[in-house]
Amino acid sequence: MNKKIGVYVCHCGGNISDYVDVEKVRTSVESDEGVCLAKTTMFACADSNQQEMVDDIADQEMDGVVVASCSPKLHLLTFRAVTERAGLNKYNYVHANIREQVSWAHSDNKTGATDKAIRIVKAAIAKVREAEPLEPLMVKSTKAVAVIGAGVAGIRAAIELAEAGSDVYVIERDHFVGGRVSQWDNLCMTDETGKELVTRLYDKMMKHQNITLYTGAEVVKNSGSVGNFNLKVTLRPRYIRFDCNEKDLMKAIDVCPVEVPDEFNFSITSRKAIYHNYPSEYPHLPAIDMENCTRCGECEKVCSHIDFSQKIKQVDLTVGSILMATGFDPYEPPEGEFGYGIIENVVTLQQFKRIVHYCDNTLQYHGKKIEHIAYIYCVGSRQIDGENKYCSRYCCTTNIYTAITVKKKYVEIHNYHFNRGIRTYGKQETLYDESSKLGDIYLQSFEDDPPVVELQDGKTVVRINDILTGHKSLDVEADLVVLVTGMVPRKDNATGELLKVPKGRDKFFNEIHMKLRPVETVIDGVTIAGASQGPKNIMESMNSALSAAAKSFSLVDSGELALEPIVARVDQESCEWCGKCEAACPFSALSKLEIEGKTVVQVNETICKGCGMCLPVCPVDAIELTGYSNKEIESMIDALIPNI
Amino acid sequence: MTRINPDFTSELKKYGVFDANACYNCGNCTAVCALSDQENSFPRKMVRYSVLGLEEDIQMSLDPWLCYYCGECTTTCPMEAEPGELMMSLRRWLTAKYDWTGLSGLLYRSVTVSVIAFILLAIGVIGFAALHDFNPEQVMHFGHYFEMSAIGGVLLFILLPNIFRMWRLTVFRPDGKLSVKAHFKALGELIVHMFTQKRTLGCDDSQVRWLEHLILVIGYLALLFTTVFLDWFLAESRTVIVLGYAESTVIFVITFLFVLARITMKREVSKHSHPSDWLFVIWLFMLGLSAFAVRLFIDLQILEENFWIYLVHLIIMVQWALIIVPFGKWTHFLYRSFAMYFRRIREI
Repeated sequence: MNKKIGVYVCHCGGNISDYVDVEKVRTSVESDEGVCLAKTTMFACADSNQQEMVDDIADQEMDGVVVASCSPKLHLLTFRAVTERAGLNKYNYVHANIREQVSWAHSDNKTGATDKAIRIVKAAIAKVREAEPLEPLMVKSTKAVAVIGAGVAGIRAAIELAEAGSDVYVIERDHFVGGRVSQWDNLCMTDETGKELVTRLYDKMMKHQNITLYTGAEVVKNSGSVGNFNLKVTLRPRYIRFDCNEKDLMKAIDVCPVEVPDEFNFSITSRKAIYHNYPSEYPHLPAIDMENCTRCGECEKVCSHIDFSQKIKQVDLTVGSILMATGFDPYEPPEGEFGYGIIENVVTLQQFKRIVHYCDNTLQYHGKKIEHIAYIYCVGSRQIDGENKYCSRYCCTTNIYTAITVKKKYVEIHNYHFNRGIRTYGKQETLYDESSKLGDIYLQSFEDDPPVVELQDGKTVVRINDILTGHKSLDVEADLVVLVTGMVPRKDNATGELLKVPKGRDKFFNEIHMKLRPVETVIDGVTIAGASQGPKNIMESMNSALSAAAKSFSLVDSGELALEPIVARVDQESCEWCGKCEAACPFSALSKLEIEGKTVVQVNETICKGCGMCLPVCPVDAIELTGYSNKEIESMIDALIPNI
Repeated sequence: MTRINPDFTSELKKYGVFDANACYNCGNCTAVCALSDQENSFPRKMVRYSVLGLEEDIQMSLDPWLCYYCGECTTTCPMEAEPGELMMSLRRWLTAKYDWTGLSGLLYRSVTVSVIAFILLAIGVIGFAALHDFNPEQVMHFGHYFEMSAIGGVLLFILLPNIFRMWRLTVFRPDGKLSVKAHFKALGELIVHMFTQKRTLGCDDSQVRWLEHLILVIGYLALLFTTVFLDWFLAESRTVIVLGYAESTVIFVITFLFVLARITMKREVSKHSHPSDWLFVIWLFMLGLSAFAVRLFIDLQILEENFWIYLVHLIIMVQWALIIVPFGKWTHFLYRSFAMYFRRIREI
């Protein structure tokens, strides 16, 4: 069939026509095979022109359209929409870039630019000639979402999804919910405790019939893709039966002889092998940590509900989308960074918060009263030599807030802030003001001249060349040095790796576009929320959780998904299964298939991104990319270099 | 290496009302100050030193004396840290540091101590007069004698040793690198500033303040000379009598204006009044007024009542000469002039 093709050559104001003779381009292509209309236009993207194109397509009964203008990144979708409005299949539209690739790149050679523009437009026309109308791939989608991580971001997202009407599976690796927020006492600006916040969220979550919470749970296998992820989840038992009474349990904790560092308190205290993080923690049932339990049997003697016969279970879940809210780890300074791990009274901000939690009337650490506290900022963040170039956002604010809390709670506290510029951004700026007025002292240095912590006659001294005092060398004898440590990605990222969620340069999960698609990942159907994506405070985590919930819900709500049809297609007759394409695929979209006694490759179209990596490695040329077939590409090459 | 002392601000706050801790080091105060220059940059540096409690650095510095308090820094300060008042407080604190007797600090820090000192001196004078049966001649004779000996005594035993202490803190260097020649070369600076206080003219606010001050200083010194050496109260010469009237009038009129300014608080400089500020202006006002009255009563021949007026004048004068001059605000005039002198020496 001979296609009727319309060609529009855009001036782009003068962006193109100042260097490319657009009229010459038009006349050079107007008599090409199939071209029924060739026009130049001042601005192809202008509303009036778009309408003219719609009318032309209908009047001339065109089968294909080419617009030679700017980069497809800017207006491919615009003109695809124009063709759709005119009743044409949008894959019969081809975009020719004669601005970025021609006029801007060759402004020094107008004749050459015009010649190149002609070839590019001819190539586009050649592609349109071979183009086929394509329909989106329709996939059934399960109306359920898996939320990985039951911190505040995960729980908030789960509630939102449940309220919208989706089934939700919340998968928490720990035995208790609440994540990092449950470890904090008073939170800045609202003065609620982290526990109160977690309690409110937990109560609300548990009221929803369509939310299932799994604790001690981990995703170990995933097959499937957007719309239908098939997850295998293992559930570690607590080794305690749910009907247990509290008194017996307390006895069991008392008699347990094992003591290990308590990670909930960042190892400043220890816990037993049978433990809970704090008395009212959710769910209200302790757990036995089998990695450290010696099976001595002492707890069984005092509590009849200890049950070592409980086994690891597995559940299979099918969900349409996965929402990752796996949170962060606090930066753990290596031994010797500002004396950490060497000098006894050097602690991290997170440890300090727990120290304050356990102190009643006097602030003390290792039995010594604390009056002078030195805070060293940006530890593990904004590193010059290290990899963490980013600012962890929350530390300035939470540290100053903690310093104020301590100053108000205990008498004779002196706070010294050794900072590199304070970033209590937004509404929290007032905290900085408040702490200054309370008499906190701020000392500042640049990154190349950090403060020094050292022992002098058994005293811990922090020294700085303060740029606010003309680089004067000043020091403080500190009872406690608090390293204001920021956020780093979770050390254990097993689930992220399993799902192949990409990471950014900062090693946190990476979104598709920082501004325009901030909660989606390149893995279709997997969204990210909270501090798993990068440092965030609680408010920002909530924002991203709600945003990710909305995005995940949009994927599962209709029960059906329309996917881009540009995917790899296998000619199963010529395929001889060598496995090279499977190895080349970055998304694991290709797999072996036995068909009528023959081994061939099959494409999972919902996973395939149409990247084309499998095409060149196929020794028998059995794979084609829909929308970019060999025929189309070859005809474009012929048009670009006709004389060879 | 210097150790930070966060308790210093609370110590300094006994000398004045300010909020240095509110400072976020923007430096607007220094930028707006007409007197601050590259060598002596203030008040931000002094605010910072105060917050950090760097006592030694403050003691070694002449900056507080180089500020003539126009109040621009305080008006400009976005954090309302009152840098101008901090500089004033530092001057009081330094006065206490220089004073070897320690009385200066005691009087600055405590209103009670000041009141007790004033009352004790008043009782002393009245007691002395009672011992002499309130004999006008003897008391007036004593008064005249007291004036002369007070000038000499205070200068010799309080002011000179204190100036020496100031010199030790700000000019003297233990490494021996001290130019004696520079001390002579710079002497002109001391004389000029002591008699003109011309540095005030550098302030942006108003030249009137300088003129008022200058007339007051001249009037005060002239009245001192007239009463002590020309014996104004007993003088017969018409010129001397008129001169005395003019001088005492100058004193009580200008100080009256100063008191009024401190009450209305229209200018930045008079917004904050430490008890020592009130004592200074009120006592100087009363000194001028009572001297005027004493001579007036003599001229009007109302001799009976005049003795009591004189007694009041004597009490005021004794309090003035033994408290305010050696330990109070009066010394600032002296330290300012010497600060300019010492700065010049350091420059040479």
